[in-house]
Amino acid sequence: MNVSTAVAVSGLTVRHRRTVALDRLDLSLGPGVHGLLGPNGAGKTSLIRVLATVAAPSSGRVELLGGDATSHRERTGIRRRLGYLPQDFGHYPAFTVREFVAYVAWLKEVPAERVPAAVEHAVARVGLGDRIDARMKTLSGGMVRRAGIAQAIVNEPELLLLDEPTAGLDPEQRVDFRSLLRELGTEATVVVSTHLVEDVAAACTDVALIESGRLAFQGSTAELTALGGESPDGNDSTTHAVERGYTAALHAHRTPSHTAKGALR
Amino acid sequence: MTTRRPPADVPGSPGLPWHVSDALARRYADGSAAETDAWSLEKHVESCAGCAGRVSAAVRAGTAGPVLASVRAELLASLGPGRAREGARAVRPGSPAHRTAPGAPLGRRIAAVASLGRRPGPTTSPGLRPESATPGARPTRVAHTPTPHAPTPFGRWARLWWAVGPALRGSWVVAVMLVVGGAYGLAYGAGVQGARSLLLALSPVLPLAGVAVSYGRHADPLYEITAATPSGGLRLLLTRTAAVLAVCVPLLTAGGALLPPVAGFPGAAAWLLPGLALTLATLALGSFVGCRAAAATLGGGWLLAVTGPLLGPVDTAASATALALYFSGPAAQGGWAAAALACAALLVLRRRSFDHLESR
Repeated sequence: MNVSTAVAVSGLTVRHRRTVALDRLDLSLGPGVHGLLGPNGAGKTSLIRVLATVAAPSSGRVELLGGDATSHRERTGIRRRLGYLPQDFGHYPAFTVREFVAYVAWLKEVPAERVPAAVEHAVARVGLGDRIDARMKTLSGGMVRRAGIAQAIVNEPELLLLDEPTAGLDPEQRVDFRSLLRELGTEATVVVSTHLVEDVAAACTDVALIESGRLAFQGSTAELTALGGESPDGNDSTTHAVERGYTAALHAHRTPSHTAKGALR
Repeated sequence: MTTRRPPADVPGSPGLPWHVSDALARRYADGSAAETDAWSLEKHVESCAGCAGRVSAAVRAGTAGPVLASVRAELLASLGPGRAREGARAVRPGSPAHRTAPGAPLGRRIAAVASLGRRPGPTTSPGLRPESATPGARPTRVAHTPTPHAPTPFGRWARLWWAVGPALRGSWVVAVMLVVGGAYGLAYGAGVQGARSLLLALSPVLPLAGVAVSYGRHADPLYEITAATPSGGLRLLLTRTAAVLAVCVPLLTAGGALLPPVAGFPGAAAWLLPGLALTLATLALGSFVGCRAAAATLGGGWLLAVTGPLLGPVDTAASATALALYFSGPAAQGGWAAAALACAALLVLRRRSFDHLESR
């Protein structure tokens, strides 16, 4: 398989008891920043958790960084090269940011001699350098999330999975974060789940749109924007154009043939 | 020169291109530099490799040179061959080794924490896979700041504490203290004769509770993150279990030994094998149903088994005899040892289940 394809998923199905979270999803992602868009409950988090090797697929093939994620032996190697920011994540309140990030570096088996520098670099990249020795419990929600992003990138992952990373960030921090995303996307495969269309417009090179556990659209951000067509009124921003593209792609996906298939399930 | 410098008032350092002159480096090395000059120099060498190298050379050439060389040799010798490379970093040019840079103890501690888990030690099990190095071929993009660090006894201790995670920071330690304290209160405050057997009967459950509160989705706030890491499975669980036992074993054994003895009842160490067997059984059962459910099942079962003897007869001698069945004699202890071995073997067979993907 192509080595630059970090994520190759075929026929991925995830069931939570009776509900189907992902339904025979095929997806292939290479380097760059991929926005994972979709309505609430579309299966974004289910997909991210499978890609993070946390949740097991009910069926289907999951190849990550050239290895089979369902094989125990290969999974360990994949996990060393993976970064994951869960949607909701806990932390030890008494830890400092430095300790928190170093602890995850230890768990990810970053070589000991590299840890101190890697921790400082990761924390500086998310703009928490001045609070590196502050305890986690003294941080605001946005800072905790940035510490979470720092732990995800501390091992310089080749595949970085961020589930709603911009939740809790103020507008200025979001702007900084998007520039960090673009920087990370030059070397790694970054998957960002979000429901903020402006995140996609500003930071993502590609978009995957998920609806009811199926892939409704995959392509570049420009292609999604083009789906929206021309603006009805004169003054149009990029965000509006992406929003229209998003809506158009969703509508196209909800054609009668698809709804009939949905009713059969 | 032992004054810690104030962090902010460093003349000339913010924004201005200032470098350490050879004259200043010499004066700094022989200790004749003015204190403010020494401050700015120290601040500067933290971020300027060129100046750091020059200052290091000046110090080595000065009177402190032989001392530094001997410290370095001693440090390397004490670290052993495997740690020599890391030790070499600790005193390499760029880190003013005779002065502790701000933040160094913490940096050292973190480096130490990180290396604990990488070294096969008493906390790793025979079932663990051998350590393989992270694919080293991948070029690192991390800018290596010269952070001085070397393993210290404190670092090693802190590392263990760290790896333990939630258990030792939580209410579990309080619970263990309460049980031991309660036994003492009963024995010496209320004059209850059976306090020692009570403590002995409860002891095997306490490590189970420790395991239950230190690993798994319900207990560890970081679980979702650790589940995606290579070390988040059995290795982390065993590290934490070992730490739980390291607290339990000395505390409960010594606590039991210091209580007044009960006639016809085994010694304070009698709980060790049952405790170990139950702990291993919790881990083995936990590989199927999760640690919390396993600890609840086995701990509850044990408590039911001992509650009868403890609460039933008022006669302490009779209750002690009934309890002694679980602890006394080669048959009972041999049985526990066999159970512990069987559970350890099962755990080895089931070692991969902790790294397994969650399926619902």
